[in-house]
Formats: sequence, structure tokens, C-alpha cells
Amino acid sequence: MAALAAGKGAFREEEGTGGDAAAPQLHAPTSAPGARLSRLPLARVKALVKADPDVTLAGQEAIFILARAAELFVETIAKDAYCCAQQGKRKTLQRRDLDNAIEAVDEFAFLEGTLD
Amino acid sequence: MAERPEDLNLPNAVITRIIKEALPDGVSTSKEARSAISRAASVFVLCATSCANSFAMKGKCKTLNASDVLSAMQEVELQWFMTPLKEALEAYRREQKRQEGSCDFFGKRDSETATLIGQFDLSCLLTRIVRQLLIPSFPPHPPKK
Repeated sequence: MAALAAGKGAFREEEGTGGDAAAPQLHAPTSAPGARLSRLPLARVKALVKADPDVTLAGQEAIFILARAAELFVETIAKDAYCCAQQGKRKTLQRRDLDNAIEAVDEFAFLEGTLD
Repeated sequence: MAERPEDLNLPNAVITRIIKEALPDGVSTSKEARSAISRAASVFVLCATSCANSFAMKGKCKTLNASDVLSAMQEVELQWFMTPLKEALEAYRREQKRQEGSCDFFGKRDSETATLIGQFDLSCLLTRIVRQLLIPSFPPHPPKK
């Protein structure tokens, strides 16, 4: 788990110092006109927000930021799961790697029991 | 409109692409793992929404806005999301301003930050504008006797 924590630290830094710079230009948030700012469709994210009965109104910016946060979350959890796969000397991410990552990383505690 | 279960899932193709770009070349992902990550992302959005909504309600505001979502990220201890999210928000606002500049035909846009859930519909907006243009400025003639 120390390797996972170390890997986690390395991945966090990469994200914090503009990890998007390594991503293809089309997907990085840029000021170029027409550049795609979000890969996830906002309509689907809005449907998820709408599923919460306590939510009345949601601004477009909020929907966008949630979409972008979901993308970052997918990147983060994939990288953490890959750390677990590496420990098992595998190059294919399995479901158990994801379960191990959820167990190891405190920030993913909200996912426990929700993916079954 | 009834929500179908598949409406709460994020598109598999997009999730797959995000995973592929996040991992080094040569690393593959099993179908089961991809499906689980997609479900996890949906759960994440639901949790983040709920947390953000709590912040909105604390501020006695009915509209969920970007700052509520950013506060929620700090609350769930995902502080390292803050920098990329703030950068993305700035880029989004610049893009919105650029698009607004090319939409001056209908005059200044009304409060664009609040979008009523279920009424995000361009046709409704256009219908409203057309009605406003057609309403006569003087009262209608009284009915003939």
C-alpha cells in the first residue's frame, strides 16, 4: 500500500501541475474558440443532477464543473487502480484492482458498497 | 419525463477514452472494470451534487452554482481537483462570453446562470421571445355589440 500511496502522490502532483497539458489539445480546456471543454455530455450530467430530489435549480456552470470533476475522478481512480494492477504484475486492469483502490484510498470511501 | 436507468449512466465510449488517456500505452482495462468505473463516476456525480446542494441551502440559495461544487470538492477531500477545475471554469466562462458576443440579435441575455431543471429548452426561449414581439402595445378593441 506504500507504493499505492507513493503512486497516488505522484499522480496527484501530475494533476495539480497541469496534467491536462499532456492530454491532446482537443480535450484540454483552452481559450481557443470552439475547443472542447468537457468530454462528458452535459445533458447526461444534468440528468444525474436532476435525479436528486433536493435539487431545485442548477446553473450551467455547476453542470459543467460537475462534468469536469467527474472526468478528473475517472482519471484518478483509473490511475489508482492501475497501481494495484502493477503490484500484481499485470497490464490489464481488473475489477479487483478497482476494489483494492477504493479500499486503500480514503477519499473513495463513499464508493464502498455502491458498485455491487 | 420518466428517467430511464440508462439515463443515469455516463456514455461508455467517453469513459473508455478517458481511462485510456489516463493510463500508459499498452495497458488495457477489462470490461468489468470499465463498467465499474463508469458506475463509480455516476455515484461520484450524485454525491458531489448532494454535497454541493447542502452548501447552496446553507447560503439560502435555491440555485446550485459553480462555487457550491468547488466547496463540495473540498468537503470530500479532493482538494487536488481545485486547480484544474478553476482553470476549466475560467476557460468555460471565456467561451460563454465569446458566444454571447455573437448572440446580440436578441439583445442582452437574461440571467443565464439559473437554468430551471426540466426547462433547459431553446424552443421555449424562442417561443417566449416571439410572444413578446407579437403582443400589441395597446389594449385590444372592445368586442362589437
